[in-house]
Amino acid sequence: MRERTNEKWMWLIPIVIAAILWEILAIIIDDPSLLPRFSMIVVSFYELAVEGYLFLDISMSLYHFVIGLLAAFCVGVPLGIFMGWFKKIFVLLDPIVELIRPIPPLAWIPLTIAWIGLTHSAAGFIIFIGALFPILVSTYTGIKDTPRVLIDTGKVLGCTTDLKLIRHIALPYSLPSIATGTRLGMGVGWMCVVAAEMFGVSPSGLGYRLFSEFHQWSQLDYVIAYMLLIGIIALCLDRLFRYLVEDKLFKWKEGIVR
Amino acid sequence: MGNYLVLDHVTKIYNSNDGKVHSLMDISLSVEPNEFLCIIGPSGCGKTTLLRLIAGLDTPTSGKITLNGVEVKDPSPERGMIFQEFSLFPWRNVLKNVEFGLEILGIEDRQDVAEHYLNLVGLDKVKNKYPYELSGGMKQRVAIARALATNPSILLMDEPFGSLDAQTRNMIQDELLKIWEMTRKTIIFVTHSVDEALYMADRIIVMSRSPGKIIEELKVDVERPRERTDAAIVKERYKILKLLGVEMKKIENI
Repeated sequence: MRERTNEKWMWLIPIVIAAILWEILAIIIDDPSLLPRFSMIVVSFYELAVEGYLFLDISMSLYHFVIGLLAAFCVGVPLGIFMGWFKKIFVLLDPIVELIRPIPPLAWIPLTIAWIGLTHSAAGFIIFIGALFPILVSTYTGIKDTPRVLIDTGKVLGCTTDLKLIRHIALPYSLPSIATGTRLGMGVGWMCVVAAEMFGVSPSGLGYRLFSEFHQWSQLDYVIAYMLLIGIIALCLDRLFRYLVEDKLFKWKEGIVR
Repeated sequence: MGNYLVLDHVTKIYNSNDGKVHSLMDISLSVEPNEFLCIIGPSGCGKTTLLRLIAGLDTPTSGKITLNGVEVKDPSPERGMIFQEFSLFPWRNVLKNVEFGLEILGIEDRQDVAEHYLNLVGLDKVKNKYPYELSGGMKQRVAIARALATNPSILLMDEPFGSLDAQTRNMIQDELLKIWEMTRKTIIFVTHSVDEALYMADRIIVMSRSPGKIIEELKVDVERPRERTDAAIVKERYKILKLLGVEMKKIENI
């Protein structure tokens, strides 16, 4: 029992050590324009939460994130199912997908402004580009990996059409893969939030504040506070997803839970 | 004599990288209702292909398969199949696996039916477990219950007990015989085990390899329950093994 309690809190140790090292390093450097002290960041957090726009920025960024992720999911999953199931569709679309996939979401900004203008949807679109491909690729990989014997079993038991085979066999089989893709897509999508808000789609949002205000005014402590915040939110989103989706939905899959 | 399932000069040719492969060559065979037929042969003799053709999962290159006079073209729950590999749907628990075929057919009170067949294979206690929690023998018994649930007239079994250990295998063979006697299904059972075939079958078809042809057909006229060491069985066993031995030599000489 004692060991288990210790293990439970072990994750704190490296964080505390990192914070202490940071503090010492900052004291030695003695130049807040290069590296503000950790304790300063903690104070900044407090200031930003009480006097700043922290919660407004978080909700605005989450709003953009949800737009992008939802769109990526709604496009990526059906498209992935088609590409995974129908070989011809895969052969036709794969070159296009592989051509667009390596283009960084940042490179889409000029085109996005031209097409959509400076709107929330524009930010959502950048996040969409980032999140789409992990979801798409994981979906078609999952569908393609469906064991032949399960498909044959489905056929013998009365799944006579492609739609029935997809719905009853390939899709349920691929759900863990789709979930993993969504998780990866969430990660990439969240990374795009700063870029998506950088070009001024809204006067708030974590990326906007970080880049257009704190950076302009050289408030490095605020910049770092927001950087950490972006990391913490991503961590929470990931944990939430794992708790809600993977732990609950995939009890049947040995090994995926732990 | 009602010929029920008829294979009429069935040939299956696959296109592979080495050219055309005659997987099955001119197979003619008729199976009677309630018959327990075993097909035995060396690996690569097309036993599995033959079952897949009967199941409707593949189509013959030439020749015709008919069931009650109707040509077999597509898979149907009328012809249940049990595969060599474990084929349970991992995302469904045991009960939901057995219900699957009924669900697709849109049958309402499927739980009762599913539970009935789970009882038959002696697995009603594990109905809420997931496939990964089951042993190999249990998985195949669930697969049998699932195939039976839609009440097919034929059960096609492709080396279903091949990956089980000897004890489990003997046990499940007895169970299958019991089920067969109770449900009076027609069973076509593919195996590479001579013992298994002689223990269970009414009739045994021996096949050769490249091309896959029927080289021998024999009736096993021994009352059930059989002794695995019965004199008549041992005699037949010797005969089949000799035939298969010739086939094995052919493989070695290639």
